[in-house]
Amino acid sequence: MWEKKPVLLIIMATGAILVGTIITMVLPFVWVNTDADRIEGVKPYTALQQEGRDIYIREGCNNCHTQTVRPLVSDVLRYGEYSKSGEFVYDRPFLWGSKRTGPDLARLGGKYPDTWHYKHMESPRAMVPKSNMPDYGWLSANPLDPQMIQRKMETLGFPFTAEEIKALEGKNEMDAMVAYMQKLGTDIPWRQSNATEIVGDLTNPYAGVDHDSMEAWESIYTENCAACHGEHMEGVIGPELVGADYEEEVLFEIIYTGIADGGMPSFSSLGTDKVWKLVNFIKYYHLEEGHH
Amino acid sequence: MDLSSALYLGVTFGLFVVFLLIVIRTYSKKRKEEGERAKYRMLDDD
Amino acid sequence: MENRAYNYAIVRSFVTWSVIWGLVAVLVGVIVSFQMVEPDLNFPPYLTFGRLRPIHTNAGIYGWGVGVIFATFLYIVQRLCKTPLWSDKLAKFQLWFFNATIIASAVTLLLGYTTSKEYHEMEWPIDVMIIILWVAFAINIVMTILKRKEEQMYISLWYMLAAIIGVAILFTVNAAAVPASLFKSYSAYAGTNDANVHWWFGHNAVAMALTAPPLAMFYYFLPKSTGVPIYSHRLSIIAFWSLIFMYLWTGAHHLLWTPVPDWIQTLAMGFSVMLIAPSWGSVFNGYLSMNGQWHQMRDNYLIKYLILGITFYGLQTLQGPMQAIRTFSAFIHYTDWVPAHIHMGTMGWVSMISFASIYFLLPRIYGKEVYSIPLANLQFWLILVGQLIWSISLWIAGVLQAGMWNAMNPDGSLTFTFMETMVEMYPYWWARCLGGLVYMAGLIIFIYNLYMTAKKGKPTVNNAAAAAGRA
Repeated sequence: MWEKKPVLLIIMATGAILVGTIITMVLPFVWVNTDADRIEGVKPYTALQQEGRDIYIREGCNNCHTQTVRPLVSDVLRYGEYSKSGEFVYDRPFLWGSKRTGPDLARLGGKYPDTWHYKHMESPRAMVPKSNMPDYGWLSANPLDPQMIQRKMETLGFPFTAEEIKALEGKNEMDAMVAYMQKLGTDIPWRQSNATEIVGDLTNPYAGVDHDSMEAWESIYTENCAACHGEHMEGVIGPELVGADYEEEVLFEIIYTGIADGGMPSFSSLGTDKVWKLVNFIKYYHLEEGHH
Repeated sequence: MDLSSALYLGVTFGLFVVFLLIVIRTYSKKRKEEGERAKYRMLDDD
Repeated sequence: MENRAYNYAIVRSFVTWSVIWGLVAVLVGVIVSFQMVEPDLNFPPYLTFGRLRPIHTNAGIYGWGVGVIFATFLYIVQRLCKTPLWSDKLAKFQLWFFNATIIASAVTLLLGYTTSKEYHEMEWPIDVMIIILWVAFAINIVMTILKRKEEQMYISLWYMLAAIIGVAILFTVNAAAVPASLFKSYSAYAGTNDANVHWWFGHNAVAMALTAPPLAMFYYFLPKSTGVPIYSHRLSIIAFWSLIFMYLWTGAHHLLWTPVPDWIQTLAMGFSVMLIAPSWGSVFNGYLSMNGQWHQMRDNYLIKYLILGITFYGLQTLQGPMQAIRTFSAFIHYTDWVPAHIHMGTMGWVSMISFASIYFLLPRIYGKEVYSIPLANLQFWLILVGQLIWSISLWIAGVLQAGMWNAMNPDGSLTFTFMETMVEMYPYWWARCLGGLVYMAGLIIFIYNLYMTAKKGKPTVNNAAAAAGRA
C-alpha cells in the first residue's frame, strides 16, 4: 500500500502531523485571548511605547531578556507578580523569550526612575559594574519618524490621536525605549497590592555596631545603592544620604518596601538581615569615619 | 463520567488502536519479506 | 547506462554552498560568544549581540542545515529511485534562489529587520522567498519519487517526504503576519496564542528540519558505508510513524510555567517523555546494524562520525524529555543549560551526520578519493572535543546559576541578587569561547580537505564511471 504509493504516504503523514497540531495549537484559540481571560486595565500601547517595543525587537533585546514571570517562589520574589495571559493580548509578537542572560523584564515598569534607564542604556556598566550588556546610547541620536509610527498604529488597530503623533516630533529612539520599559507589567496594580506592610515593632539587630564591622557591609551598598545614591552617598539620581536623618525603623521600611511613586525600588528580596546592615551602614558608617 | 472525559478517553483509546494496527500490520508474518526488502534493495544501486 | 543522467553537479554545488554558510554560522557563533564576555566587542548599530545572534542561528539552520539537506536529498533521491532528477533546471533555480535567500536573510537581519521570533526572525518578504524555495525543492523530490524505477520506497524517502510536508505546514502557519511596510510586520497572533503557535513551530522545526532529515541521511549513509543493511526496516517504519505523530504535541514544553493553558503544557510534557521510544528506536536500529561490524569504528572514519552522531542523538533525546518535565524545567529553564542542550544536537548529532554524509559523497560526486583521511580523523577529534567543552561547561554553568537563582535565606528571602549569579557565569562563558574555537578549527580542516579533494584528489577506481555522469 503506502509503502509503494508516495502520494498516499504524504496524505497519511500529513494526517499524523495534523492530529497533535489541531489539538494543541489550533484548539487553544477557542479559549485564549477571549473575553474569559481579559483583564480590565490592560490597555494597548501608546504610539511612543509601541515604537519603543519595535526598537526592542529590532535590537534583539529578547535574545537576552525574558518577559514572563513564572508562578515560582524564586521568580515572584525576584521579579514580582507572576504573568497572566490577559496581560499580553496586545503583544504582537509575544516577547517572552527563552534565555535570561540578563534579568526578566516583565515587571520592570515603575521599578526605577526614567533617569536610571537613560543612564543605564547609555552605559550599563556605569550603573551595574559587571554587566555584559552592550551600550545603547546611540539610540538618542536617532529621531523618531511620526508618519511611520502612525502607519504602524493603524496596522495594529491601536487607538491614537493626532496630538499624540505630533508629540513624537523631536523625540528620539531612546525616549521611546524608556517609555516602553516603564510600561512593562504595569497594567495591573501589582506593586500596590503586593507591597509589604510592616506591622509590629522593628528592632535593629546591629544596634551599636562598631565601624570596623561595618566595613564588610560596604559591598552590599556598592552593589545595590551606589548606582543611584553615589559611591560615597553623595546622591546622583537619588538623594544624598550623608547626614540623612531618618529613624532606623523608617529607613528600614523605605529600603524594604521602596517608594512606589518616588522611583525607589523595593529591596525586600535582599532579606531583612542585609537590609538592616544597609540601615546601619547608611546611618552610622560616615559618622564613625569622622571620629578617625 | 461526563461527556468530555468520555471523549478524551475515546480519542486516546482510538489512537492506541491505530498504533496497534500499524504494529500488527508491519510485523505480520505475511509481510516480513516485503517489509524488509527495501533495506537490501537500497544497497545494490551502485 | 542510466547513471549517465544522474545530476551530480547540483549535489556538488549544494555541498560547496552549505559548507560556506556553515563556516559563516560557526564564525558568527564564535564572535557572539566573545561578545558575551567582552561587551566592548559590540559595534552598534549592526554588529551587536542582539542582531548577530539570529544570524548565527539562521545561518546554521537554513544555510548549513538546509543546505546539507538539499545536497544529500538531491543525491539520495536519485540513487534510491534509480532515476535522474525530475528537473535539472528547477534544481539549478533552487540552488541560486537558496543563496539569494540566505544572503537576503543575513543582510536584512544585520539591518535590524526582524520579527524577533526565534529561528524565524526573517521578515515577511524573506518568508515568501523561503516558501518559494521549499516548494521548488518539494516538487523536484516528489516528482522524482513518482517517476522512480525502484518500486520499494526505502525509509529515507519516508523521512524525506514527512520533512518536506512538515516544514511547509509549520513555516507557513508561523509566518502569518500583517505587513506595516516592506520590512516590518506584526504577527497575525497575539500574546499567549502567538507564543503557543511559535513554539509549536519552534520545536517542530527541530523535528522536521533537524531530526527527520538527518535520520534520512543516517539510514542511507550508514548501510552504504558499512556495506551491510540496517538491522530492521520494519522497526524504522514503526519509529517513523510514532515520531512524526508525537512530535507535534510537544511544542509547549518550551512554555512550561508560562500563561499558556496548563493542559497544553501537560500534554507537551507527556508526549515529550513518550518521544524517547521512537527516538531510541532509531538509535537501537543504528547500533544493531553494527552487529559484527563494530571493528569498522576503528577501520572506517565514516562509521566513527555516524555512530557518534547517532549516540549524540540518543543523548539529546533523553536530555530533552528530562527538560520537558515541569520540575526540571522550573530549575534549568532560561539558564545556559538550554543552549548547551541545543548545541549537543546541532554540533554533535546534525553536524556529525552531515560531515559523514559529505565525506561519503565526495568520491561519488567528484570521482576523486578524499584527499586526506588523517585530516578527516583530526577533524573528528576537534569537533568532538570542541563540542564537549562547549556543552559540558555550560551545563555546569546552568546548574550553578539555577541553584543560585533559587537559593534562599532562612527568613525566606533570596540569597543572591541577579548580578551576583550572572558574574559567576564568566569563566564558563570563556570556556564556551574556547570550545567554539576548537570546533571552528575542525571545520576549517574539513573545508581544506574538501577543497584539496576537489583540486588534487586521486581519481577513484570504483566510482569513476558513476561520477563521470555530468562533470
